Amino acid sequence: MSEIEVPVEASMEDQSPPVATPEVKVASERKQSRRENWRLIRRRPSFIIGNLIVWFWVVCAILGERITPHHPLDFRTTPHLSPNGDFPFGTDQTGRDVLSRVMAGAFDVLKIAPLAALIGVLLGVVLGMLMGYLGGWLDNFLSRIVEAFLALPVVLIALLAVTTLGKSSGVVTGVVAVLFIPVVARTVRAAVLGERELDYVTSAKLRGENGAFVMFREVLPNVSGPIIVELTVRVGYAVFTVATLAFLGAGPPPPSPDWGAQVSDGFRVLSAGIWWTTFFPAAAIASLVIAVNLIADSVQSVLDA
Amino acid sequence: MGRYIARRIASAIVTLWLLATIVFVIVSVLPGESIGRKILGAFAPESEVAAFNQRLGTDRPLLNQYFSSIKSVFTLDFGTSYQSGADVNDIIFPALFRSGKLALLALIIVIPLAISAGIFAARRKDKFADRAIVTTGLALSSIPDFIPAAVLLSVFAIGVPTSVLGVSSSLWTFGKPFANPPPGTSVIGHFPYLILPALAMVIAYFGYIARMTRAGVSNGLNADYARTATMKGLPPGKVMRGHILRNALAPTITVISVSIGYLFGGIIGVEKVFNYAGLGSTMLTAVGAQDIPVLQGAVLLVGIIYMLSTLAADLLIAYLNPRVRLESKR
Repeated sequence: MSEIEVPVEASMEDQSPPVATPEVKVASERKQSRRENWRLIRRRPSFIIGNLIVWFWVVCAILGERITPHHPLDFRTTPHLSPNGDFPFGTDQTGRDVLSRVMAGAFDVLKIAPLAALIGVLLGVVLGMLMGYLGGWLDNFLSRIVEAFLALPVVLIALLAVTTLGKSSGVVTGVVAVLFIPVVARTVRAAVLGERELDYVTSAKLRGENGAFVMFREVLPNVSGPIIVELTVRVGYAVFTVATLAFLGAGPPPPSPDWGAQVSDGFRVLSAGIWWTTFFPAAAIASLVIAVNLIADSVQSVLDA
Repeated sequence: MGRYIARRIASAIVTLWLLATIVFVIVSVLPGESIGRKILGAFAPESEVAAFNQRLGTDRPLLNQYFSSIKSVFTLDFGTSYQSGADVNDIIFPALFRSGKLALLALIIVIPLAISAGIFAARRKDKFADRAIVTTGLALSSIPDFIPAAVLLSVFAIGVPTSVLGVSSSLWTFGKPFANPPPGTSVIGHFPYLILPALAMVIAYFGYIARMTRAGVSNGLNADYARTATMKGLPPGKVMRGHILRNALAPTITVISVSIGYLFGGIIGVEKVFNYAGLGSTMLTAVGAQDIPVLQGAVLLVGIIYMLSTLAADLLIAYLNPRVRLESKR
């Protein structure tokens, strides 16, 4: 998604932390409601469609050249053939099969985006829990830093970081993960603030439990809803960011069949009427981003209800 | 109100300082090797690298560099370009002006469009029209911005579907494939150049603004004050304009102010597709040439614009809603 991060206080829909029920749920009850939620999520058409698309790309990424009709790097054909029976998506500027490259290109984005989102969310959860639970000057100070990070679009800081640190996939994963920490931390912090004053936290403290126990064993399960939503949303943003970085030239080097890089190669010949080298990889990016968002959306509408 | 303004400005300055610190850490602390070594390559003789670093001032102690980096944000003096030796300001401010033109056109289109769509959706909450607006809007915003840009370019500037459909493309090609208007173009003459990249930006931000408006208005429609206003006999239009929007637009204003900051620098992909010489393209060129001062200056400039636009938005919200400005007194 275009990377506006809507400030939490500005979003009216997000004002009530979704799981801030006043009464404490016992563990078995909690498990049951989790199972119930999962059942509701699985039934949503948008969840099913989103999963079909995502898993299609995952299969393409894993099997790669074993299932592509041609080898994604094979350039022995005529360049810029328009789509035809043998090459349904046409061929690119060096005569490689666009369909095979689009299928194999799923690998480049899927090896970075989900991992980056996962690392970013894990670290963001820890930071957000500390900020929300401990409060005080630490929270104040970290909130300022979070705000400063949000002053710039993620793609922009990522581009700056990749320029100075190098553009290997490890660096890109790390940079995207780090840039997600502030947003996640802010969401989790807001959810924890809603929990902190509840009776179960007070009673755990009175029992003499230490801070880490209260935070991770008592509070964390109760804010798991927003965290799961955040994870699915972040995977979508990660695909967005990784694809954009690749389009801007900060992706895997050629001849790797990365989608963003393919669009970047292709759009310059659009004016000659050669649309297929741009259209198919672009459609692949769009389909993956929309599919992840369909999943995120169905998870969100069940857990936020 | 005076106290609120002072506090808000102070917090903007602190955030700007932190932002400059983050950028400094990314550029000067994390890379490990010196900038001279990075640009001249691994085989350049040590003496040459040292001379290069001395010329750029990157051989000074980090703390020293840090202070001048922070100073540059507040004095708007970002030094000279590595590549051309020109003053960074002479590079980034003309680019900022061009990006500003594009952002302005995009905002003129997207603000009324998204707000009306949001109000429309809120009035038909959970009906088909509402779902269609929210779902399509969010799906379009979730796609990386260079994709709608490339689609708009190929359909409305190049007329790609012509060969496929067999119809003359002159029916719908109304934009130019290259967005830079030649010097001396009149204000109206800019339109065919800027409209397509601006529309790509509209697509990127419509969903957010519409959704925020919808959430605010639908809360407002259910609020007691709206019922009171309706009960005392105000026509629906007046209830909407005089009561609901005044309250409900605060989050919308916030989102718009964030988009303004992002529109100036975040839409690098759109500028690249249309080959537009704005701030985004300037940054890309700087990335290619490892021209760190230009890149750093451009990034910080985007941050400054973000600060100014969110500051203006908060002041506008405080002006519209007395509760906000009075709350800060407590």
